[in-house]
Amino acid sequence: MHSAAKAGLESTFGFAGRSLAGSAAVLAAAYVALRLQVNFSTTGFLDLLIVVLVAMLSGFWEATVTSLVALTCLNYFFVPPVHTFYVADPQNWVALVTFESTALLVSRLSIQMEKQARTAILERRGMEKLYELSRRTLLMDPQRLPGSQIVAQILDVTEVEAVALFDAARASEDMAGAAGADLEALARDTYLGDRNQDDPDGTTWRRLLRPGTSSIGAIVLRGENLSPLLADSIASLAAIALERARAFEKQSHAEAARQSEKLRTAVLDALAHAFKTPLTAIRTASSGLLEAGHLDPAQEDLVTLIDEESEKLNALSTRLLQTAKLEASETKLHKETVLIPQLIQDLLAEHSDQLGGHRTLVSISNQLCATYGDRELLGTAIMQFIDNAAKYSTPGSPIGIAVDDRDGEVVISVHNEGSEVRPEDRERIFERFYRSPGSNHRAPGTGLGLSIIKEAAEVHRGRAWVNSEKGKGTTFFLSLPRAEWRTQ
Amino acid sequence: MNSVSTSSRGKVLIVDDEPSIRRALRTTFGTLGFDTAEAVTGEQALPLLRSSSFDAVLLDINMPGMGGVEACREIRRQFPRLAVLMLTVRDNEDDKVEALEAGADDYVMKPFPIRELVARVRSAVRRSHSSTTGNTNAVITIGDITLDPARRLVQKNGQAVHLTPKEFDLLHYLMQHAGLPMMHARLLSAVWGPDYGGELEYLRTFVRQLRKKLEDDAAHPKYLLTDSHIGYRFREAQESRLVPGGKSDH
Repeated sequence: MHSAAKAGLESTFGFAGRSLAGSAAVLAAAYVALRLQVNFSTTGFLDLLIVVLVAMLSGFWEATVTSLVALTCLNYFFVPPVHTFYVADPQNWVALVTFESTALLVSRLSIQMEKQARTAILERRGMEKLYELSRRTLLMDPQRLPGSQIVAQILDVTEVEAVALFDAARASEDMAGAAGADLEALARDTYLGDRNQDDPDGTTWRRLLRPGTSSIGAIVLRGENLSPLLADSIASLAAIALERARAFEKQSHAEAARQSEKLRTAVLDALAHAFKTPLTAIRTASSGLLEAGHLDPAQEDLVTLIDEESEKLNALSTRLLQTAKLEASETKLHKETVLIPQLIQDLLAEHSDQLGGHRTLVSISNQLCATYGDRELLGTAIMQFIDNAAKYSTPGSPIGIAVDDRDGEVVISVHNEGSEVRPEDRERIFERFYRSPGSNHRAPGTGLGLSIIKEAAEVHRGRAWVNSEKGKGTTFFLSLPRAEWRTQ
Repeated sequence: MNSVSTSSRGKVLIVDDEPSIRRALRTTFGTLGFDTAEAVTGEQALPLLRSSSFDAVLLDINMPGMGGVEACREIRRQFPRLAVLMLTVRDNEDDKVEALEAGADDYVMKPFPIRELVARVRSAVRRSHSSTTGNTNAVITIGDITLDPARRLVQKNGQAVHLTPKEFDLLHYLMQHAGLPMMHARLLSAVWGPDYGGELEYLRTFVRQLRKKLEDDAAHPKYLLTDSHIGYRFREAQESRLVPGGKSDH
């Protein structure tokens, strides 16, 4: 409050001083005119010049005061009867009124021009600052948090006194500038309120950060020399900078994930290959022993065990290789139009021994449901569902298999009664090696099967998911883009 | 008749850079009555093949030096009638197709049961012997199935089976090359003509029909077998014991 009063006082003194200076100039002009015996009209022009100069140098009100003093002087010293404030001739009334009007008009105009020129300079400086700000935000360090960098740059480059930024993704606030102002909370409120707002005092500007249609944060600027335009511009630069930082972060996360997955895949691939060579030697030897004969029953039994178990180990490493390749997108797909009902029929006939005594209830809404894909891979995926259902369903309950045609997609579903997949596991069971905690003791498995389904779905631009409800059982779904079936 | 006596033993060249696999194969084939020789690379194998006569070559697909596929191409060029089998560790259809296109008679996935490998070697050797006679009208009998090309007659357990002309041609072609993988494109162009290379579903429909007519259980075929992504093969002619006194097939 102190400082405001002081400023008011200063401006009052300044106004009085400048008005006095103008008046003095007018009086001096009158004195000179009287001494030189210059007439009324010449003195009037001289005064007009002084008034315009005062207007340009000081301001409209100073010029007004000066013009009134000039008017009084002219009236008193030059308009007959002189040395009175009385005006006898109506013509002189017109002259005086014209003088005053012209003085006011010209001062007004010159002030406006002056103001425009000043605004232009200010705007140019604003533009330069915005340019500088945009240049600096482009050079921000992507390894450091964006919020603190953005506020520091804004404070550094523009004339704001304080700035606060709320980053919605991190739910964090950053602030720079004059301490004490609780701008952080204001920034958060602006984001939560989802609305731009200019405070009535004209010093605080709240802006949402919207690089696109939705806001990703908010910024609050405090400062005297801000315009709505400038506040908008700073806000949009901050929005772009924040968005850029986010995109960069996302990209580097994706890159890191891709790298680690690549490594994992490479390790799996190498392991699986390294297994195959000794396995080949073992299998050749064991099956060779069996073929050569001359073994007594106990020996034959043991060699058969070696033979069978090495084959199991082989099947496991083959599967590892298969998922590793699928994830690395190394598998070359052999795509053709596959008639899904036909495929399911073939699968069920081929693998009837894997159903574990469960009946199957097949429901097909459209016999011509087809997709364009790799028949072998799709068969593996669907069989994995059926295998899974057989493993986890209540003994003796049927397995439901359905093929539906929905909105340009073929949806294959396999339902089993009994087990429930916990909500928190429903995404994760499709991850490689994940087995839900309860399943370890229930059924044999490697945790690879469902990940194959997910990969198979992805390479076919389809989706795999699960619905499960206690008491109602579990349904696995695989949806694939539908293809036209040409009848031949 | 398109058959070879079961007691025939042959001379096999084993080409693999893995010592343990060479050792296992050498010992096993030796026990089963084959003569064997070994090479570590394709470059070593070629002079060996020139210096002595072999019935079959087992060629690892992934070897240092010229590599298996290139070695196969070279062997095929120099010894057109020699039986060549490729051994591969990768379950990769492109490798298999490449091997077959390079002139291999067959491919076998590592690890393999020795019975399967020996049977494949036999089929390949038989192919290399029979191509000299080239009698396309010979009656072929495999298991329960007999095919008489001259009379265009197929019998199963002595009962005539009615086939359409295309089904007959397809079956004849497969039985002529029994035991060996026939690529889809090869079957299509051999039976339907060179313009049919990619009509896979066409072929699949015919195979399905043939299985219905010939197999006891079409879902578990015993004769007309599928080689995933590659093609089909008809069961080899012999499924009997590999060595006298060895285990028989039941």
